[in-house]
Amino acid sequence: MYLGKTIEELHELLVNKMVTPFELTKEAIDALKKDTTNAIETICEKEALDFAKTLVDPEFDNLLWGIPYICKDNFSTKGILTTGSSNILKDYVPVFDATVIKKLKEKKAVLICKSTLDELAMGGSGMTGHKGITYNPYDSSHTYRIGGSSCGSASLCAQGIAPLALGSDTGDSVRKPATFSGLVGLKPTWGRISRFGLFPFAPSLDHVGYFTRSVKDSAFVLEVLAGSDIEHDATSSPREVEKYYSLVNGSIKGKKIAYIKEINKGIRDQVIKDRFDYCLDLLRKNGAIVEEVSLDRNLLASLYPVYMIISCAEATSNNANLDGIKFGPRIGGETSYQEVMMKARTAGFGELIKRRFVIGSYSLLRENQSVLFERAQKVRHLLVNKVNDILKEYDAFIAPCSGRIKSEFVENSDNVTDEIDIDKMIIENHLGIANFAGLPSISIPVGIDNGFPFDFNITGRAFEEVNVFNIAYVLENELNLKNLSVIKGER
Amino acid sequence: MNFEAVIGIEIHVEMKTKSKMFSSSPIAFGKEANTLVQPLDIAFPGTMPIVNKQAVINAIRVSHALNMEIDHELWFDRKNYFYSDLPKGFQITQDKRPIGKNGYVDVKLSDGSVKRVEIERLHMEEDTCKQLHMADYTLLDYNRAGTPLIEIVSRPNIRSGEEAMRYVEAIKSIVVFSDVSDGKMEEGSLRCDVNVSIRPCGSEKFGTKVEVKNLNSTANVQKAIDFEIKRQTKLLLSGIPVEQETRRFDEMKRETVLMRKKTDSVDYKYFTEPNIVPIRLSNEFVENAIRTCPELANEKLVRYINFGLSEEEATQMLQNRALSGYFEHCLSINVKRAKLYWNWIMGEILGYLNKNAIDISKLKVTPDNLDHLIEMLEKQDLSSNQAKIVFEKMTIDNKDASKIVDELGLKQNSNEDEIRALVDEVIAEFPQSVIDYKAGKDRAVGFLVGQIMKKTKGKVNPAVTSKIIIENLKTK
Repeated sequence: MYLGKTIEELHELLVNKMVTPFELTKEAIDALKKDTTNAIETICEKEALDFAKTLVDPEFDNLLWGIPYICKDNFSTKGILTTGSSNILKDYVPVFDATVIKKLKEKKAVLICKSTLDELAMGGSGMTGHKGITYNPYDSSHTYRIGGSSCGSASLCAQGIAPLALGSDTGDSVRKPATFSGLVGLKPTWGRISRFGLFPFAPSLDHVGYFTRSVKDSAFVLEVLAGSDIEHDATSSPREVEKYYSLVNGSIKGKKIAYIKEINKGIRDQVIKDRFDYCLDLLRKNGAIVEEVSLDRNLLASLYPVYMIISCAEATSNNANLDGIKFGPRIGGETSYQEVMMKARTAGFGELIKRRFVIGSYSLLRENQSVLFERAQKVRHLLVNKVNDILKEYDAFIAPCSGRIKSEFVENSDNVTDEIDIDKMIIENHLGIANFAGLPSISIPVGIDNGFPFDFNITGRAFEEVNVFNIAYVLENELNLKNLSVIKGER
Repeated sequence: MNFEAVIGIEIHVEMKTKSKMFSSSPIAFGKEANTLVQPLDIAFPGTMPIVNKQAVINAIRVSHALNMEIDHELWFDRKNYFYSDLPKGFQITQDKRPIGKNGYVDVKLSDGSVKRVEIERLHMEEDTCKQLHMADYTLLDYNRAGTPLIEIVSRPNIRSGEEAMRYVEAIKSIVVFSDVSDGKMEEGSLRCDVNVSIRPCGSEKFGTKVEVKNLNSTANVQKAIDFEIKRQTKLLLSGIPVEQETRRFDEMKRETVLMRKKTDSVDYKYFTEPNIVPIRLSNEFVENAIRTCPELANEKLVRYINFGLSEEEATQMLQNRALSGYFEHCLSINVKRAKLYWNWIMGEILGYLNKNAIDISKLKVTPDNLDHLIEMLEKQDLSSNQAKIVFEKMTIDNKDASKIVDELGLKQNSNEDEIRALVDEVIAEFPQSVIDYKAGKDRAVGFLVGQIMKKTKGKVNPAVTSKIIIENLKTK
């Protein structure tokens, strides 16, 4: 029984030949077949077992050798169905591998499964994929969300089926579900990991991210995935990749950490509040200087609408290729190309997506652009500047990932009611700051309440992932919450 | 009432780079459909654009040639619309910050005056895929999708069909000589859309503009505009307003015909391409692109005139890049023969090419061999008629000119001693010619030259022969 182990633990077993990659893969695939959270698009059983069989000589300095992993179904995988959890791509088999898939293959990690997502990574509820709701494995009553859009990856990683699950993060799509599933969720600096092969939602905000169950695992994976990809992604950074794994040592002495008053105001659970204070004390105990800072409440409150305008505008353009001619089902349309496109897109996209396309198109229209799209860009810059001002003085800032430990399913996560609770809007959307500014950001388990885990988030300066890892590492060690999974249950 | 035409021109130039604007897929004409494609060209999800460096260099060169301000920061935008030939559902172009802006080009008109055509902008973008419309379906060929384009937009300060034609010719010359494009209008590698409106002379207000497409030669640009000006003038004079519409030029009818009425202009919902971070161009990069630009026609013109060609001759040579390339080769052998090379290229060579309907790349005669032939002519080893015969043989397989001369036994004898002996011989044979000459009948000389030619089967140098005959006759 090897489920529920970290990459580091599995590596020890693999190189000592206590288990083979094939056995590990087999066990993981058997576990996938028992999933009850509706987290799976495709199990890559044959491909995974065939590949695992070829792995016989252990690689001692390669932690990923023979490690099974899961991939959100919006990464292009050559020869393997990739749906984006959307009907418009339900039969799409890509002809090339995403750069991250290629890199993991080179490291001999074994792709075992493509996981569900909110349709085309839009929406944060885990409810909008074409296969229906993905559930939270910590909640057998199916009352509370796991969040999204990387819902399937979060669920399967939290079930201990694999120690690594790729996701993507445009607003908080890795770091938010990480809190509801008690995982380590990382989104590095924009440009740190190549996005080639990741289905675009909103490229200026899109990041490759992933779930692990320990900070050290996360650091090692970044070492593998990071790096420039000049032939495929012009936004990938040419900066040298640091040795994150060996640089993560828990040294945070003298580091300055901020927390933002206006974000914390939205905390609506005493357990979170207490835990937050407790964590700040732990950080101080380890030599960090922790201080409260303030950030314009109106700016923070504008984050969600600004996010909606920018992401929807980019999304409507990015998905214009799915038109029933090259991609998508041919529903019919004998009279004109317009008819072909309309029929395919009407049948192929879900309601939330269509709504977002309308919002995006509307904000880009000539008569609206200056008051909606351009204004949103300006506000984005204002907010980014304010955050970067804070980061001039502080190495990172820490915040709760959500104001609540559990989040119930609601009909449509995009709906905004007439009564807007500003504090709630801020705390439930502030993770998007790291997307606006392209900053490295990690969610890390900090507590379990009545069987439900929850995370805090640490965001640092661009390309200073090491700081972020180290702060997270301190909390992981102090709190003894490493490697949470459903199998182990409460600790 | 007198009207003034207001004409603006948009020119799309297909660049002949090795690969596409944003993908590594090669570019070539006439390949099997859908064989020159990378995932990006068909807009596979997850593919991203990588800017083609050579395309940027090309755009800098043309911008410079058009006296434009060059933006040292590259920005690209998305132009969003749905169309069956558009792979991504948007075209990557440069909307807000074109690489070149505020330029001009001076063109010479037939009356000798010079017109300065102002140019608003030059930007880079990508081509769409090619559609082949069948009876009840359409085929798509993505080989063309993503081919780099330069779009050059003039200001509406063109006033006549001739100005427009000269302007298009000038642009064509620049893109062809800078090696940016084939510039073939008939093949669509240079496409030109013309906006024409007219207004009463002295009016500041613009009239309703009509767009004319489908212009496949510079001559047709002029014809279409001239027709359009007449058509619009006639309408206005009859009290009928000009309608905003798109027309095309019908070559057979020599007139523009309606394609479609313009409805509201499309909203392209432009925004900055998020997958290309703005690229900073160093001064060095821009200067280097300009410095290494192949020599343009106007620079060559000055040089050719210095080598002794007239302006007309030089201009004529520069109408055709390939011909002038051949001429350049010749010049590199012996600049002093510039005029002779010109004569041969514009005479025999062009005649041969036209007769056989081939272009100069197919000509087997090398510049070296041509020079060799010209040298023999210069030394009077050959008559010009003989040289033409030799040239014809050279076109078969570029056999060395002197070998052909030997084989045909054509070489002229210019040895004066030998010719003197021959002259003595024929004068002895035809004493009557001496009498004729003395009697003032100059044709006696021609008669004697003819006799010597007959004897030698035309191998003596006629000029030398006739000189010696006259010397001889004078002594009698």
